[in-house]
Parts: sequence; structure tokens; C-alpha cells
Amino acid sequence: MSFREKSAWISMLSMSGIYGFYFWSVIRSGPHAGSFHFGGLLETIIALVVVEIVLTVAVAIFTPKEAKAPRDERDKLIELRAMRVAYSGLATSVALACFFAGFNPPLLFNANALLFILVTAEILRSACQIVQYRRGA
Amino acid sequence: MGAIRNEIRRLRFEHGEMTQQELAEKINLTRQTVNAIELGKYSPSLEAAFRISAVFGKPLESVFHYSGDE
Repeated sequence: MSFREKSAWISMLSMSGIYGFYFWSVIRSGPHAGSFHFGGLLETIIALVVVEIVLTVAVAIFTPKEAKAPRDERDKLIELRAMRVAYSGLATSVALACFFAGFNPPLLFNANALLFILVTAEILRSACQIVQYRRGA
Repeated sequence: MGAIRNEIRRLRFEHGEMTQQELAEKINLTRQTVNAIELGKYSPSLEAAFRISAVFGKPLESVFHYSGDE
């Protein structure tokens, strides 16, 4: 498994786990639970950054040559394809969110819905990279 | 991706049993990319193809074969 693929796994799993916990907490609070919790979101972002850095450094320690090597043409192509898929998902989801906004959901719902869309797009991007690496594309 | 075949694996063995990693380092690609090229799962850029051919001292057509619409 290449360093880039490992990085994609780290990104996908850490985002899924950490943001999964965040959204689970939001859902538990209910759609009418007060204002947008910036503190909770900030903690989530910090936790994600720390986890990704720690895991990426750990992987880099075991494969220092690969970690230092720049992305080659195949890495760049895989990344571009993944971005294209993720962007399509993002655009479609935002359009749907705009449609449902017409039904006047609570502000907290709107804010978290947009965050959920963004996180899902990022996870989708990492997943697309992993699929391509696994297929040897 | 099946339109282009290559002789890279055979040429590696003929050149002192060069490993994929060694070839990758010579042409600034990752070992995984070299493996994908050998298996026909990834077609290298023209520049990369020329670099690979130069490593083996062969013309491009001796290393890569285009089967077209066959």
C-alpha cells in the first residue's frame, strides 16, 4: 500500500469517526437544541487535525522515503478523479439542501446540514482515492 | 487501458533483475505506479514512457505496443 493510499485511509476513517461522533451528538440534542455549538465544532476540528497528524506521522516514520517523495503523475490523476466525484456529490447535495431550505427548517438544522454535506464530500473524495488505488488504476 | 501492452517486466529481468522499486527511482514514479503500468492498469504519460524506454536503452516501440482497435 502506497503512502498516499494510507493517507487516504487515515483521512476517511478519522473524518468518519470524529465527525460521526459530532453529528451523533447533534442528533441527540434534537433539531431545536439552541444555537450552533461552535465550541463543539471547534473541538471536533482540533481532534481531527491532531488525529490525522499523529497517524500520518506514525506512517511516515515507518516509510520515510515514500512519505518524502512527491506525488507522481498517477497520484495526481487519482486525486483529480476523486475531486471530480466529490465535487459532483457536493454540488448535488447543496442543491438538495437549498430545496429543503424552502420548507423553513431550524437554523441549526441548516448549518449542520451544510457541514454534513461538506464532510460527506471529503469522505467521498478519500473513498474514491482508495477505490482507485485498490483497483490499481 | 488494455490497448497498450508493454515489455517492462521482461526488460527489468534482462537488466540485472532490476526491481520495480529500482526502476521507479530511476524514472521518478512510485513502485505502485510501475506495478500498475506493468499490469496494464495504468497508461503512463508520454514523458514517463520515454523515461522508461531510456532506462532500458530501447526505442519506445520496443517497450510499449499499441493494439489500437484490435
